[in-house]
Amino acid sequence: MSTRIVLAVLCMVSVMISCTGSKDFKPIESGKVLFWDRQTTDTGDLLRAIISDFNSAYPGLPIEAQYSGGYSEINRKVSASIQARTLPAMAVGYQSMTVEYVLAGAVVELDPFVQDVEIGLTQQELDDFFPAFLEMNRYPDFENKMYSFPFCKSVLLMYFNKNVLKEAGIDHPPATWDEFLAQCRQIKATTGKFAYAANIDASTIDGMIFSMGGEVTQGRTTLFDSEPAKEVFKLLETLAKEQLAYHIPPESYDDRDAFAQDRIAFFFRSSSHRAYVDRLMENSRDRWGMARIPQKDPNNPRTVLYGPNVSIFKTTLEQQRRAWEFVKYFTSRDVTVRWALGTGYLPVRKSAAEDPRMKSFWEEWEYNRAAFDCLPFAVSEPNLGGWQEVRDLIEKAETAVFTGKQSAEEAAISLKKSADQVLKDFAM
Amino acid sequence: MPNLMESRALGWINRIPAVVDTVLAVCDDLLERMGGNRLRDLPTAVLLLLPSLGLLGVFGLLPLLLAVYLSLFTGKGVNMQFAGLANYTRALSSEEFWSSLLNTFYYALGTIVGAFLISFVIASVLFRLARGRGFFRTVYFLPYITSVVAAATIWRVLLHPYAGPVNVLLTYVGVSPENLPRWLLEPKGVLHLLTNGAFPENWGPSLALCCVILFDIWHSSGFMIVILLAGLTAIPRELEEAAVIDGAGWYARNRYVIVPLISPTIFFLLIMSVIKAFQAFNSFYALTGDGRGPYDSTQNMTVYIFTNLYVYQRLGYGAAVAVLLAVAIVILTLVQWRYVGRKVHYE
Amino acid sequence: MIRRYVMYLFLLCGASITTFPFAWMIGTAFKTYKEAATPSLQLFPSEWQWHNLVETFQAAPFGTYFKNSFFVAFVVTTSVVLTSMMAGYAFARLDFPGRKQAFAVVLATVMVPFEVTLIPNFLIVNRLGWYDTYAALIVPWCTNAFYIFLVRQAFMGLPSDYFDAAKIDGCGHLRFLVWIAGPLVKPILVTVGLFAFLGSYNSLVWPLVVTGTDRMRVVQVGLTVFSGAEGVQFNLLMCASAIVIAPTVVLYFVAQKYFSEGLVGTGLKG
Repeated sequence: MSTRIVLAVLCMVSVMISCTGSKDFKPIESGKVLFWDRQTTDTGDLLRAIISDFNSAYPGLPIEAQYSGGYSEINRKVSASIQARTLPAMAVGYQSMTVEYVLAGAVVELDPFVQDVEIGLTQQELDDFFPAFLEMNRYPDFENKMYSFPFCKSVLLMYFNKNVLKEAGIDHPPATWDEFLAQCRQIKATTGKFAYAANIDASTIDGMIFSMGGEVTQGRTTLFDSEPAKEVFKLLETLAKEQLAYHIPPESYDDRDAFAQDRIAFFFRSSSHRAYVDRLMENSRDRWGMARIPQKDPNNPRTVLYGPNVSIFKTTLEQQRRAWEFVKYFTSRDVTVRWALGTGYLPVRKSAAEDPRMKSFWEEWEYNRAAFDCLPFAVSEPNLGGWQEVRDLIEKAETAVFTGKQSAEEAAISLKKSADQVLKDFAM
Repeated sequence: MPNLMESRALGWINRIPAVVDTVLAVCDDLLERMGGNRLRDLPTAVLLLLPSLGLLGVFGLLPLLLAVYLSLFTGKGVNMQFAGLANYTRALSSEEFWSSLLNTFYYALGTIVGAFLISFVIASVLFRLARGRGFFRTVYFLPYITSVVAAATIWRVLLHPYAGPVNVLLTYVGVSPENLPRWLLEPKGVLHLLTNGAFPENWGPSLALCCVILFDIWHSSGFMIVILLAGLTAIPRELEEAAVIDGAGWYARNRYVIVPLISPTIFFLLIMSVIKAFQAFNSFYALTGDGRGPYDSTQNMTVYIFTNLYVYQRLGYGAAVAVLLAVAIVILTLVQWRYVGRKVHYE
Repeated sequence: MIRRYVMYLFLLCGASITTFPFAWMIGTAFKTYKEAATPSLQLFPSEWQWHNLVETFQAAPFGTYFKNSFFVAFVVTTSVVLTSMMAGYAFARLDFPGRKQAFAVVLATVMVPFEVTLIPNFLIVNRLGWYDTYAALIVPWCTNAFYIFLVRQAFMGLPSDYFDAAKIDGCGHLRFLVWIAGPLVKPILVTVGLFAFLGSYNSLVWPLVVTGTDRMRVVQVGLTVFSGAEGVQFNLLMCASAIVIAPTVVLYFVAQKYFSEGLVGTGLKG
């Protein structure tokens, strides 16, 4: 009996080793360049249309977009596929996910493609990208190499409800954080309403720290105990204590809904929410607007840039080249404008400003320009290994401040300590 | 008894083509001969178990062994390194591991006790029902049919702290806005909140965790009701009637007649519920957005494993925690088998 | 008499708790996007938006999804019922060396949660070359340790006189299982079938991970298309959910009459 068990176990172990032994990645389908993506309905159709234009304009292996669930499902699928050593040609994901894929040895470095004389980008073309878009795809943990390329980009914006502001006797959105707090108090005092509904989100906190004139990290240490970061937490603490703001359940959009019903005056979200708010507001555009988030120093504004990127995997060279050609096509001026207008994301090229379609879109409504105008001073978040965990810690600290579990001071200090530990552990 | 069997058997045999029966008989004969006298049942057992054991071996046992194997490594993808038991010592010395285990216990205790009591009461009422049994049985099973995601979406709206119908109702009753409970967003302990701060904040389950528990009682009672109904239907009616004639009240009847008679069913449900409760994940994830809840106050073991495996990509560490969880479940199951199993009443 | 009314009143109260979310779901399914996003105590839409049904069906190839879901769930259900009947019988009624150990192995497979076995199982399925095929969706789920356990309990509850009598008549195990023991535990088998169907029909993560194309996708994947990175189309999501749930409600209503009637002699025994 026991020898049989030993034999069986040995047999299983050999299967395991054959599963995890080889170091190459095979394409899932060698006849197609698969692209794992999350776009559905209208934006999914647009993506497919762009892909089919590319396929017919540039003959070669056909690109095929496959809907693979939300970002976290795609992440799970890619992780499993890395273990199985079969991968699609490319997939969308946030920088924190890309870091993991790079660590697993699955992602292609893009610099050789970018610099390739035949299929690369010219210096002129490179200069046409907003610098932050390219910077955010370089990874300090891996010699600052480029491992992803911009795909769906947006910036943090302030959405303000004109009805509520008017009700409180305010005629303009706040430009500074002091003004923001003063307006929140005024709204509460005159209307009894909450002024702000907060979506617990690490990127929003990072953006607020940037706008306070601070930085989030320096090398591999965090700066959450710095003055600007503490000011952010203190502001949130004041807002929560004076009942000027409340926080909404995670993964919900209740802030938007409350906004559309004139129950709050402000919320901070990605610029890509514009179309949804527009629908909720039933296109009555005199009721609301968008602006850059309040600043410490309005003459030196900053905000945060975010959104997923595309990474190309180490399958065959043929697949990699083809995938890169598509990524390059996708970020060309013409296509990036088409994608931006169809989805609400931002064009990644400066020259998009000269595009007539873009211009007429901006003329349609004064606030349509707000997001694009933020691009020159938008900053990307750190893309360090372990940052996903730091993000969770930031959100935990924000929750602690909103629920009164910790004071702003305590939250900032303990966040700094735990985040530094995570970054330190990750390096080993 | 044999008479009943015979009539049933004949009824069935008359209805089917005799060919099938002959084939079965030949197989039976063959299998019994293959086994000889001592191992008479073995060939039949192999035949009957082969599909299940084969599938469970490949898709149940092999992944389990792979998980154990994986738990001995650190690193990612092509850069995995053998690390011995490092993942295990790290888990056992991690505060998060223990707090997740504690949350798992609270949850298991809450859902199992709650769902049992409610299901038992409803099943015994439904069982006695003369009319509308089918209707009520369907209605009470509805929550179990719904996918957790759809059901959780609805609950999240109901329990929304500022706009949810529950709190709107509480405002009508006169609760002031500052005192409205935050439900799924509240990391503070429920004991702390109920006693106005007599207990420390981090004692006992958080209010958020209690909401998850309530949701799962609501969602999973249907399953228990169905199985309990099956158990109750098997009780001979005479026994209960005899108890009524003897003047036994509702409590006595349940305590001394019904519960002992369906104790095998209860025992089965208990074992299953403990395993399921210790592996609960979907409702946590769907209700709180990431499973961890406010200030990690709803993070249970499976959520902790999930976060490590898929969010932080710590395959080895996640697998090690999973193995520890499996060990905990095995121990609990064995304890139940020993100590609770002994009290189960057999005919 | 009063007692009976109290009983019905009690049941109705409970029923309203279990059905309220359903009513809410159906109400929301036919609201406009804005009305659905507005929190209120109003259960039903001010104006029923029947065209939501059309929009829902256009959002994803639900026809293919339904076909796949039904096919997969049907095969899985049949196999689970068969395999658990066979294995349950072997564990309950046959005498052979290694029975206890084999049963322990079966139970061991339920000790690790699905979230953990997902990656190893994906590796195995991939290794077998089953990515994006029905085999990947079906084969791993064709048996289930919980149900083997449940059916074993049911077989153990059968009075042994039945079997002894059969033996005297010269009836072997296979014949006894097919013609006598199996039919006697039919309610349990129906229960197992129902749960197996629900489990297969409601699964999302596994089908999403092992398939890549719409050809192989199932209805639960269809439900995810309404949740984008920037928001959820609540009304359409609820509409789709209601459509997806409908077949299972019908199935349960049909199956439930088998649970209680004719359950004599199948008490679960430990």
